[in-house]
Amino acid sequence: MNEAIIEMDHVSKTYPSQISALSDITLEILPGEFTFIAGPSGSGKTTLLRILCCAERPTSGEVVVYGMHITDPGFKKIYQLRRTMGIVSQDFKLLRDRTVNENVAFALEVTGHTRKEAKRKASDMLSRVGLEEREEDPILALSAGEQQRVAIARALVNSPPLILADEPTGNLDAKMTLDIMGTLTDLHQKGTTILFATQFTGLVKRYSYRVIRILDGQILNGRKVDSTQVPEVKPGE
Amino acid sequence: MGNLFPNFITISIIVISMLIFSTFTLIAFNLTNLLKIWEDKIEIIAYLKQGTSSREVEPLLNKTRLLEGVEVVRYVSPYDAMDFMATKLGRQKSLLEGIQPALLPPSFEIQLKKDYRNSTKIKEVVAHLEKIRQFEEIQYGQEWVETFSVLVHILRLTQWILGGLLLIGIVFITSNTLQLTISSRREEIEVMHWVGASPGFIRIPFYVEGLLQGLFGGGLAILFLFLLHQGFFLYIPPSMKAWMEKIPVLFLPPETIAWILLGGMVLGFFGSFVASMRVLKYK
Repeated sequence: MNEAIIEMDHVSKTYPSQISALSDITLEILPGEFTFIAGPSGSGKTTLLRILCCAERPTSGEVVVYGMHITDPGFKKIYQLRRTMGIVSQDFKLLRDRTVNENVAFALEVTGHTRKEAKRKASDMLSRVGLEEREEDPILALSAGEQQRVAIARALVNSPPLILADEPTGNLDAKMTLDIMGTLTDLHQKGTTILFATQFTGLVKRYSYRVIRILDGQILNGRKVDSTQVPEVKPGE
Repeated sequence: MGNLFPNFITISIIVISMLIFSTFTLIAFNLTNLLKIWEDKIEIIAYLKQGTSSREVEPLLNKTRLLEGVEVVRYVSPYDAMDFMATKLGRQKSLLEGIQPALLPPSFEIQLKKDYRNSTKIKEVVAHLEKIRQFEEIQYGQEWVETFSVLVHILRLTQWILGGLLLIGIVFITSNTLQLTISSRREEIEVMHWVGASPGFIRIPFYVEGLLQGLFGGGLAILFLFLLHQGFFLYIPPSMKAWMEKIPVLFLPPETIAWILLGGMVLGFFGSFVASMRVLKYK
């Protein structure tokens, strides 16, 4: 049996304003799993993903990712953890003064690839997300949906074994959502582990992947369930 | 060098601070040099008691030569002293008419070994000479040597205290202006954190920037000091020129320049290090 690559053990997160974002979360993610983290806006999906990439520290509990005890006070190798994952965040985190290609290539350059190699790989990845025609455009010339695809391309370009995607299709139309899902499914079939946070249950129901339903910072179903059992949650609910 | 204005401010402040420090270094260097020149010329004159017989002179000369630190001893008879005074007075030597050479005391001119030509060691030799009963009085211009030596020490002390204060100031200012530079690149740094750039990859460009600012600031300070040094010679009045010829006003030696440049680099680096510790924490 495969060992879990992500283990969260009784993890809670309370912000200084006493708002409880996560409460006693315990879960395991196995290698190669495609997991939806489904829940309405404000349910704690983003906080959970941010804890997994060390962008936030939980108030209590323990988190282990790829054997790294990332909640240990002495844990300093955040950059090594981040290199194991491609992160797509809601706010894209793109460089506004650079072109589309430069944004994607940046992720490769800062991890030791040559500029030429980074540009070529970025170009290949941009073709996969349908942005080959916009490569040399400045990032601000792109629509929100296109910027989201750039962020996805940047997260995938390093071929990370784990992808943390926070509402990656939130700004995309139906066709592009299906294209991106196709890309992620393709990566999943090649062995990439994917955590996909979304509030769109319609999307979740389309695929028979594991679903972790989260509401008010608590997991409603921690183990494997049939995605058809996920209760309907409308966007903005 | 992403942000011109903070870089300009940082370098300007480093230049001003390093210029003040290196000006003090230059003054202290020249005064020390002057002290060395004077110390090299230091000799002791030991006056013999009136009535010391010529038979006593030779054994006394030998005894003095054997003292530690003594290099050469020359006996100056009253007649030699008279000739010396006549030479010194030049056309006014007629003033000496009627004065008997016997009135002038005989003396020993004692030149010291190089290691003993300083205000501390000279006192050891004088202490030995004072124990010899045939000497009436011993002169070595101790007052001005000691005063000048104290002056040089005070200047050196001021230089290092001022240097210390400027050092703290430079580190503080460099770190603060580098924080401005870092802030202007916050978005890029945040993305670097996001995609797993190593802390070294993020920080090293800022360290290099600090080093270059320090080097550039130190270099400009040396250049301005050199121009001031050259300007000093252009503007000294002619009446002082002849006097100045005897006192060399040197520029800083290459090794001191190298130390100042290195100091600038270290300060710039330390400033950027402090800045990066404050604002480049991995998030």
